[in-house]
Amino acid sequence: MNNFLSVIGIKNIHISSRQIIILNVFVIISCICFLMASVTGSINVPIGDIIRGDISELTKIVLIEIRLPRVILAALVGASLGISGAALQGLFRNPLADPGLIGVSAGAALGATLVIVLGSSMSNGLFLGSFLLPLGAISGAMFVIMMLYLLTKGFGYQGVTYMLLIGIAVNAIAGVGIGILTFISTDSELRGLTFWTMGSFGGVTWPLLIPAIVIILISISSMMTVSRNLDLIQLGEPEAYRLGVDVKKLKYKIIISCAAAVGASVSLSGMIGFVGLVVPHLVRLFGGVNHNYLLPSSAFVGAALMITADMLSRTIIQPAELPVGLITSAIGSPFFLWLIFRIKRS
Amino acid sequence: MSIRCESIDINLNKREILKNISVEVNEKEILSIIGPNGAGKSTLLKSLAGDINPIKGNIFYDEKNINNINIQERAFTRSVMSQLQPIAFDFSVKEIVEMGWVDRGESEYADQFDDAVNEVIHKCGVKDLINRNFNTLSGGEQRRIHFARTLLQLWRPSNSDDPKYLFLDEPTANLDLTYEIKLLNIVKEIAQEGAGVMLVLHDLNLAAKFSDKVAILKSGSIIDIGLPKDVLRSTLLSDIYEIDVEVKDDPLLITYY
Repeated sequence: MNNFLSVIGIKNIHISSRQIIILNVFVIISCICFLMASVTGSINVPIGDIIRGDISELTKIVLIEIRLPRVILAALVGASLGISGAALQGLFRNPLADPGLIGVSAGAALGATLVIVLGSSMSNGLFLGSFLLPLGAISGAMFVIMMLYLLTKGFGYQGVTYMLLIGIAVNAIAGVGIGILTFISTDSELRGLTFWTMGSFGGVTWPLLIPAIVIILISISSMMTVSRNLDLIQLGEPEAYRLGVDVKKLKYKIIISCAAAVGASVSLSGMIGFVGLVVPHLVRLFGGVNHNYLLPSSAFVGAALMITADMLSRTIIQPAELPVGLITSAIGSPFFLWLIFRIKRS
Repeated sequence: MSIRCESIDINLNKREILKNISVEVNEKEILSIIGPNGAGKSTLLKSLAGDINPIKGNIFYDEKNINNINIQERAFTRSVMSQLQPIAFDFSVKEIVEMGWVDRGESEYADQFDDAVNEVIHKCGVKDLINRNFNTLSGGEQRRIHFARTLLQLWRPSNSDDPKYLFLDEPTANLDLTYEIKLLNIVKEIAQEGAGVMLVLHDLNLAAKFSDKVAILKSGSIIDIGLPKDVLRSTLLSDIYEIDVEVKDDPLLITYY
């Protein structure tokens, strides 16, 4: 494990053996969730049949063309929201930073909507689905994170309230933007927009998924390389600088990586709330707060949570599907309330 | 070997904070900066530590201009403890101390991480706090932990002769008498082992007892610098602090009313 961490850029492993064990448990849990979700659904496929190769052509198509991309997308979105939440909370030194709450997802959504409504008339569809949509979402997310950083700069730990207030404003502005774009869109654009805003992992295909896999994996790896610096910045920016951290570079790395991960996720699955908030706190409760442990664990727990939420969304009221955002919000919003009371107590 | 500044001017928010300051922190020497509030003591410490760029003049680390030294290299050379910010997440005390460890890649230092941490914990007498949550400690205890972190940053194997400098801004704030003296004794020990130390202090008697050199700063200028017994004179101190100050020699004792 230590060798693995040093290979991916984490030097001087500041992670306890207990945390390594917990991290491994999270990895195993997410693998189990992945397997379970891959074989469960409107067509159940016993794992034994897959191992024996005893499956029909139809089941094979369902598994490879429908189920697998969907589960992979759920895992990627969960991982990117989980790790982005953890990294943003670390960068802002703020336990309430969540891509959804502070408006990053809304920024991404507005960017994606702009592409759907205005992009289709500007490009001839050549580039659209696979790259332009994620690019629009990433730009929107990046714009919001940079604006947040500028506006909350200097508030330090006191910036918790300001950040949430700015988040409310950004969410509202994005809502207005999306509303206007919906209003001016043509029938076919409206159709695309409606499907997209419903926020689901259904309907994803390999050509759409592959760019997202590349973007999200690069972003996650990039965040992992600065986990130690995220620990040091908890001492305050001047202290981190004195310990050799290039604070500006760290900020840009986190901002760009989070924007890319969240933007790519939102562009494919719509806005899914609370995962970025709940997951890092859950992970901290189990094993501690240092980022060498927190970042990879948040990615795996985020993936496990999202795969499970998606599995529930498509199995609870079969053959209909619940929006997955409903399930994550049902778990996340009471947790958010609990967190506010906890912060108030301390 | 020294850290020095030559005729530096520093402006913050368009206000002149330091003017024409030249100071040198030598190895094996403790330099204390004293002076009234707003004199520019912390700014001087921060500029020598490399946090603030002077608008005029130069800062040298062992004859090398600080602008040519990257921040990683600076972190190997000097460590700083100043006013501290609250920590948002519940780090353990041990994790906070370990944050002082500056990564030196695959060098001989890397293998001695555990020894270094244990040595510093033992030296600072914080073993009983090490497994606690940092945010549950008192202000004084937190300061002791940050001091231990600062020392870990400067830790060297016994056979190393790499230069090291320690910058401490009011290190004894919030500390009780026992730890005030313990901390300054550790600082003295580190200076004797070869480090150059710069202290910002308010307590004139501590400055008299623990410093090799004292600099008096007022309104951004150095009024006097030299041996404690030469600089800490009753007329000068009375003038600087605008209160009656009495100084007795041997041992140097400063009384104020």
